[in-house]
Amino acid sequence: MKSYLLDSLENLFQHLAVSHKMFEPQSIPGSEDLHWLPSPKGPTSRYGTSKQVLPLAPAKGFLFPERELLFRFDGQTFIETLPEVAPQVLFGLQSCDLCAIAYQDQFFRQDSYYLARRKATILVGFDCLTPCDGGFCSTVDAGPFVRDGSADLILHPKGNEWLLIPASEQGLNAIQTLNLPPAPAEWRAEREQQQAEVAKMFPTDSHIRTGIERINQATISAEQWQRLGLQCLTCSGCTSLCPTCSCFTTFDTKTEGESNTFVRERCWDSCLYEAFQRETSGHNPSKEAGERLQRYWFHKFSDHYVDEFGRYGCIGCGRCEETCPGGIGVHSIMRRLEKES
Amino acid sequence: MSNPSKKVINTICPYCGVGCGIGLQVSDGTVTGVEPLPQHPVSQGMLCVKGWSSAFALDPYDRIKTPLIKENGHFRPASWSEAYQLIVDSFQAIKQEHGPNALGLIACARATNEDCYAAQKFARTVLGTHNIDHCARICHSPSVAGLRQTLGSGAMTNSIDDIEKADLLVIFGCDPTENHSVLGGRMIQAQQAGTKLLVVDPRKTRLAKLADLHLQLNLGTNIALINGLINIIFSNGWEDKTFIEERCENIDALRKKVAGYPPKRVAEITGVPVDQLHAAAKMYSQSERTFLAYGMGITQYTSGTNNVIAISNLTLVTGQIGREGTGINPLRGQNNVQGACDMGALPNVFPGYQEALDATSQEKFGTAWKCEIPQQKGLTSLGMTSEALNGRFQGMIIMGEDPVVTDPDQNHVLRALEALDMLVVVELVMTETAKVADVILPAAAFAEKDGTFTNCERRVQRVRAAIPPPGDAKTDWQILGELAKLLGYDGMQWPNAEAVFDELAQLTPLYQGMSYDKLELDNGLQWPCNDATPDGTKLLHSGQFSRGKGRLIPVDHTDPAEMPDSDYPLYLTTTRLHYHYGCGSMTRKSPLLERETPSGVLFIHPDDARKLSIQAGTLLRISSRRGEVETRAVVTDDLPPGTVAMPYHFKEAPSNLLTNTAQDPVTKMPELKACAVKIEVVTEQ
Amino acid sequence: MNLSMTPQPIHLVDQYDDGDHSRHYTFQLAQPTSEQIQPGQFFTLTLAGFGEAAFTYLTAPDEQGRFQALIRRAGVLTSQLFKTETGTLLGYRGPFGSGLWPIEEIKEKRVLLIAGGIGLPPLATAIEALLANGSDVGLIYGSRDYAGQVLKQERERWQQQMPMIETFDQAVGDQLSGTPLDHLDAINQQLGGEVEAVLTCGPEVMMQAVGRSFTDRWQSTDNIWLALERRMHCGIGLCGHCYLGSSYVCTDGPVYRWREFLKQQKVM
Repeated sequence: MKSYLLDSLENLFQHLAVSHKMFEPQSIPGSEDLHWLPSPKGPTSRYGTSKQVLPLAPAKGFLFPERELLFRFDGQTFIETLPEVAPQVLFGLQSCDLCAIAYQDQFFRQDSYYLARRKATILVGFDCLTPCDGGFCSTVDAGPFVRDGSADLILHPKGNEWLLIPASEQGLNAIQTLNLPPAPAEWRAEREQQQAEVAKMFPTDSHIRTGIERINQATISAEQWQRLGLQCLTCSGCTSLCPTCSCFTTFDTKTEGESNTFVRERCWDSCLYEAFQRETSGHNPSKEAGERLQRYWFHKFSDHYVDEFGRYGCIGCGRCEETCPGGIGVHSIMRRLEKES
Repeated sequence: MSNPSKKVINTICPYCGVGCGIGLQVSDGTVTGVEPLPQHPVSQGMLCVKGWSSAFALDPYDRIKTPLIKENGHFRPASWSEAYQLIVDSFQAIKQEHGPNALGLIACARATNEDCYAAQKFARTVLGTHNIDHCARICHSPSVAGLRQTLGSGAMTNSIDDIEKADLLVIFGCDPTENHSVLGGRMIQAQQAGTKLLVVDPRKTRLAKLADLHLQLNLGTNIALINGLINIIFSNGWEDKTFIEERCENIDALRKKVAGYPPKRVAEITGVPVDQLHAAAKMYSQSERTFLAYGMGITQYTSGTNNVIAISNLTLVTGQIGREGTGINPLRGQNNVQGACDMGALPNVFPGYQEALDATSQEKFGTAWKCEIPQQKGLTSLGMTSEALNGRFQGMIIMGEDPVVTDPDQNHVLRALEALDMLVVVELVMTETAKVADVILPAAAFAEKDGTFTNCERRVQRVRAAIPPPGDAKTDWQILGELAKLLGYDGMQWPNAEAVFDELAQLTPLYQGMSYDKLELDNGLQWPCNDATPDGTKLLHSGQFSRGKGRLIPVDHTDPAEMPDSDYPLYLTTTRLHYHYGCGSMTRKSPLLERETPSGVLFIHPDDARKLSIQAGTLLRISSRRGEVETRAVVTDDLPPGTVAMPYHFKEAPSNLLTNTAQDPVTKMPELKACAVKIEVVTEQ
Repeated sequence: MNLSMTPQPIHLVDQYDDGDHSRHYTFQLAQPTSEQIQPGQFFTLTLAGFGEAAFTYLTAPDEQGRFQALIRRAGVLTSQLFKTETGTLLGYRGPFGSGLWPIEEIKEKRVLLIAGGIGLPPLATAIEALLANGSDVGLIYGSRDYAGQVLKQERERWQQQMPMIETFDQAVGDQLSGTPLDHLDAINQQLGGEVEAVLTCGPEVMMQAVGRSFTDRWQSTDNIWLALERRMHCGIGLCGHCYLGSSYVCTDGPVYRWREFLKQQKVM
């Protein structure tokens, strides 16, 4: 696809805002953390060359919300309740989170609730020119520059201007009427070069590589997993913040009025919970904390999933490290696996 | 296009005394999820399972949305004015006939400081009685009583940050990874970074399994163990002689007392081998900085206050107190139990622990509140229920507590509440206690109001309204203010939560230097915060103790009030589960937390299980001298043989039908941690 | 496979007690579908406000959409089902599962079915299919005790059609005792030769013992299949609960070849 020269983000933003609800990572008063919030005023000034900061939580909830209504029962009929989502733009996604969305696009490809939300959503990605704290996207092929096919529009800073790459049909349609000039021909090649430069700026990732190897060669004993599992406080923080985690449970709530009317919802679940697999009989295939921890990391780093998804389940954002109270987030656990091998 | 309503409101997690920062994601007026706060000094971007699930607790489903009046055994919706009038008429009649001491109020350690302040002010001004109490009675009243005698202040001496500054962590009678998870997590991370870990607990808790040394003592033998450790410390000259000389008093009496606890005798009583006692005494005394934390395994005994004093003795003789990284740290249970105590929601003290019957304090508060301060001693919560059964106590307001599930001897509590002429319950949902009320008033939940919580490290933090309360619900201080006016008292008409805070700060020396503006700046302030310490206080007792010299008080081992015998051969201890909080009225709304544990379980050691032919899942009848419950077995060697354990969260299997009301003589703390039971297998049809 | 998370209406049309805490149910789909149900597949039932749970078909739906299931009372949902009156409207989703009983592959072989307790109903569709094919087939059914046995009517019929051994953990009188594996020689004798394929369903420990035993016997993991139970919340490979290694029992199972089961157990 052709790429364009954009002289002002403001123009693009306002153009998209005409027909879409705009969301952007923003801070709230009294805190520096970034949250995905409605952005009525236009792009923040964070883009470009400034130090990269990931939003606290990924954009997962826009497409796979923490709680979602599945259907209601009126006493006679089960009525599917697909979400009605107005066209929306997620503006300012980093490559890692985009890879996670691409991963979930695969996973939920037949889920009508996900699709209803996804179809209404345009993804605007930005290349990261610096590593973020704790991030290791380059190790797991998820960044630092936006991957082809993961965004609708890709923005790459060029001094005070931008290289704008429409990366999907939807992206191209969205900017058609802007009538942008084409970008200088050499910019695409320069971008490729620069990506390699930025990748070199990341701190050492030997522990991650060793850990991945050990997980795939299955050289970690049940005892070692069990020791690490003792440190899992089953808070569900890692699975809540992980942009690729997709497990859910369903639950019914009786509605007021008629005695047997009810709604069924699904909500995020976590494979670290002790009862995640426990059956009514009491039989539990993953009774031990170590087994559950092993499962979590297997799902993130096993080669078995690469065939289906074209990548690992981990996109290198490092959010689990930040939120794990037991000290077994991705960096900590991989360092332990490296040290205790 | 118009933008949807979506925002994040930073506030404080409503579960437990750790006081983690939590961001509530709000979408179109509902809390849809939560975020951790990386910059929060306590939680540092972490939350526990309850915090992560807190959006469910706010689900409008099954919330009480209007006042309810009971008629012919059924509740019907009513207007505020009708409900108020009923209460006013009844309370006025009771007061006229029986005097103000026939009325009382149970405040709530889950409510804000503003709510708790309003509650005790309502009792003391409007009702005219010191009959005001709350659930600290059944968690840390012995800490308050014990540490006030020995140190002069009953709170954590250190800050949570000191966990990382210590060389040794000593965890006594609690499992912070279960009940104060984020704090427990910081302990695990500290240990990973090289800090030593010593755990004293009859159960093999998670921290016990990770510990460098675990003393698995017999139930109810804390004092013997501690006296034994002090004995070993003295015999080896491991005490801190300078510290004792300069900062402690009454050392001779203590030496004399612990001489009676030689290691061999202590090993017999506690079941802990002599070499482990020796190792623990050495670790504790010889470490540079020892952060000691304790919980319900110390306080919920008839010997609760003495247990706390014993711990205090140990820290004092070794000088493990008054410096960064070392001290004595009671882990407060509920999110605002520290604040509820600070606010004087206790019969014996005004806000800031100013004595309720002391003339100077009485004058101070009488003047400030423009009222006569009652002269008669107030009743504790168990005192109120006992007096209700004796016919001397007729009217009660319970703010958001569920004593039917959480207090000992459920039958006693139920009979007492049913004996009242007027029981008003201010609640979020229909709890077991609310079911026996005459009037229920709908309350606002933590995300629906402004205010402050005080966490276990004395940090006063702002709680912020994220969504409006459902239906007609109001905050506690609003409800009490409106009732006060109808009962003829004008001094509780505040325009907002900040005005309540300003009033309480002015009257509470510990909080005097605080205001909402100052609390905004750096995630709250730790008390004392006043002219002398405008930025708050991270560490208590650094130069001298609040009471001057640290007092060493000799205490003796006593058996629990009820020991196993041939009729009731097993010890029952009660516990909390990671997934649940108190009576479960909030946590049990989460389908995930509810799935994790069946509604009620009994933990039993494989040896005991084998003897009784019990397997995992076997339905059991557990009975004590007070009642019986049926629940299912979980077989685990996390407990010692001879002891079984039940969590207290579940109304379906209330462990408090079994527990003993025998009380600590000082604080009336009931002995929830030990009673005798027998177990039978129930044949299922 | 129906990918919707929303159930179809279904009526409970008949029920009778069949073993301890167990009942034999007949359901009727409000709108019969033409979709064929394969042996091994399962469906879910929704009870208004009590959630959803997975069960196996005892029979495939007929033209009127009627089918049967044997259900044991175990948790909240099944307890409610046991209180539910005939005629009540329930919710149905299915059929689910692509790991099936390998009828085509084994129909020419001498087949042994080994069931434990409530593991018999999931084998019923395989038994019927093999019998219909005229295959050489036998059954060993192990239960805790006599009251723990289910599918009384079906067993009486099967008794006439194939060799069958019933054994009990707590045998009384002249009942056979021991585990199903204790009776291999007897069933071989009745079948007139060494079995060549095994299908098993029951407690996972029992199935694993069966798998190991025949692996030793045959020095091969090829001709052994087992049907797994897992907690499930969708049936379509999304909720994540029923993982077995890198597979999902709901979509890749519920029937696994023993070799594949071992592989999945080991992948982690």
